[in-house]
Amino acid sequence: MSEVILISKNNVEVPISREAASVSPVLRSMLSSPFIEQQQNKIELKDIESHVLQKVAEYLEYHQKYIKVSENEDIPDFEVPTEMSLELLLVADYLNI
Amino acid sequence: MYRGRNRPRGKATEDNQVRGPNSALTQFLKEQGINAESIRQKWLKSRKTEEEQPSDGVKSESQEPTSVPKNTTRGRRRPLGSSSDDDDDDYDDDDGDDDEDGLELDDQSVGESDDEGKEDSETTRFEESKSTTPRLDGNSRLKRYGIDDEDSDEAEYDDNKSSRTVSETPVLEITQEQAEQKLKRSRQQLQQRRRKKKRAAELLDRKTRRISTLQDTCIAQISSNILKVQRNANAGDESISTKIRDTLGGLSTQNMNKLARTLSKNRALDDHTLQLFLRTNLHTLSFHDCSKLSYEGYKQLAIFAPQLSELSLQMCGQLNNEALLYISEKLPKLTSLDLDGPFLINEATWDGFFARMKGRLSAFHVSNTHRFTNSSLESLLRNCGDSLVSLKLSRLDDVSDYSIISKYLKHENLERLALEYPNKEEYITDDVVSAILAGAGRNLKHLDLNGCTALTDTTILNLKDAFAQNEDNISILESLELEELDQISTDAVVLLFSQIQMPELKFCSLKRCLQLEDMALTELFLNKAAQTLVSLVLNSLKELNGECFEAMSCPKLERLDIGFMGCANDKLVKKLGEQNPKLEILEVFGDNLVTGKAHIRSGLTVIGRQSDTL
Repeated sequence: MSEVILISKNNVEVPISREAASVSPVLRSMLSSPFIEQQQNKIELKDIESHVLQKVAEYLEYHQKYIKVSENEDIPDFEVPTEMSLELLLVADYLNI
Repeated sequence: MYRGRNRPRGKATEDNQVRGPNSALTQFLKEQGINAESIRQKWLKSRKTEEEQPSDGVKSESQEPTSVPKNTTRGRRRPLGSSSDDDDDDYDDDDGDDDEDGLELDDQSVGESDDEGKEDSETTRFEESKSTTPRLDGNSRLKRYGIDDEDSDEAEYDDNKSSRTVSETPVLEITQEQAEQKLKRSRQQLQQRRRKKKRAAELLDRKTRRISTLQDTCIAQISSNILKVQRNANAGDESISTKIRDTLGGLSTQNMNKLARTLSKNRALDDHTLQLFLRTNLHTLSFHDCSKLSYEGYKQLAIFAPQLSELSLQMCGQLNNEALLYISEKLPKLTSLDLDGPFLINEATWDGFFARMKGRLSAFHVSNTHRFTNSSLESLLRNCGDSLVSLKLSRLDDVSDYSIISKYLKHENLERLALEYPNKEEYITDDVVSAILAGAGRNLKHLDLNGCTALTDTTILNLKDAFAQNEDNISILESLELEELDQISTDAVVLLFSQIQMPELKFCSLKRCLQLEDMALTELFLNKAAQTLVSLVLNSLKELNGECFEAMSCPKLERLDIGFMGCANDKLVKKLGEQNPKLEILEVFGDNLVTGKAHIRSGLTVIGRQSDTL
């Protein structure tokens, strides 16, 4: 399973699996040919603060983990810190997740 | 989706002939075995009560059970009923709705605290006593109701058989530790039950996604926090909006409109989320979906966002007379108002509003209301005509006299004129438009005549004449929309584009101008407009045979729509990509000759090919 690096505003690198990154249609498009992100496995998201990007990565992994669970299994709620919710909403809108 | 009527009914039920309101949710909960768990909960609590008062419990067991079974049940019901808590209430309600639940509960001898359940149980008990159907053990009963044995609730139920059996077991044998373990387990199962209920509710809401999107999660968080802060704050506390924004992380004013767009897109803009936009220094605010904003919300917006100068409220169906007057009164800097769907505003209020906005309203856009009448239009023009630089009237069912516009709008400052989709095509004629263009046409930057199907070449020629007044026959038009003008001909358009240069034109739509042929487009591509065009819509120009594209070279063109054009094919797609280096989006809906084999330049996205599948 290959890894993709998301780079935040202050050049903080947030590693994430390619499958998880593909949960976002925006990141998925970036990772598909012929974009440079596909070759470098790095996606620059310089408008996004590192702590927000980390939360986004957490959500993508969470989504990837639970998307295939069976009907009978429980899915825990994804926790969003209150103080981050506005900023996270805008980023989520941008990434269409 | 589960269908209650498809379910095989047990004999006992048929015999009972008891019918009650039977919701799909109840069915689902039953199917998931939630009733059994609710029973177990009650049993656990009753046992706890009995442990606390062992002598009473033993007494009731020893005195009554064997001789009079019915009384035994009743004797046990009292302490059980009194011990029911809030967690079980939901299920109790559901149980009470359903005849089969009543039977099930009675079988297991668990009391209902609420009257409905009790009534059902009583009825069923009576029916059951008459019937000769032998009592089933717990497992059989569950099977009878189609409950899966694998479900943990049922497993738990089976461990204990039934409450009747257990209540006959000496209570004191269960240690405190065991009881605690069971309580812990029951708590976990309660959580599981809640999730199942949530899942059932989601199914009923046609939600197929089990994992919420991050946007939904954030919006839910935002809404709940706004409510929380509002509850904790005093009604008159002016810092409440600031507190809300601070609590949620704060946003720059630049991002506020992005937030408004995101909330609208998620259909989440309501009176609560509106709080985020109050007491800010915002000058411009656009809400794309105000359908959930109440009139109180609009009033709050008017009171607490006094800096607003441009306000756009789309789908504002709840905007009432009072709120509109508030807007005019409380927003002293307001100069631009765009309202879509304000059908609660009556004629008198429109009149009052325009009187209050006299001299300061520079842009007024209104669409989709049947209460904006000729009189309202006259009031708008009479009061604000001198200051208007932008006017848009679209889909106004009660406006028939557009000719009055030219009587008031004679000044040369008019920059945007949009007259769209009149109720009847004869309401906007060549004469009406020509009169307006003659008075205020030469300085127009945006002209939008979409859906005015009565317009003919006369309008195009008058437009040419209006611009011909300018020096060097140059127009400053930035956008030109002539959609669905099926009476304008190639000759008129050729004349317009050949005699008037449009070096500022960025957006042009000739969608469904069905008579246009290649020459019209060729002339457009030879005009200076070709150097500045960013977006071009040629949808449904079925008379084109493609020759015009030989002359096409638009260095700034980013979007092009060639949908439903018979001449569009793979070759044309390739050519358009090569000739327009900045072209990013090419729409080819309805072009069946554009196939998956088309050569598409990198950086260009072709949308609408039949061969493309999701």
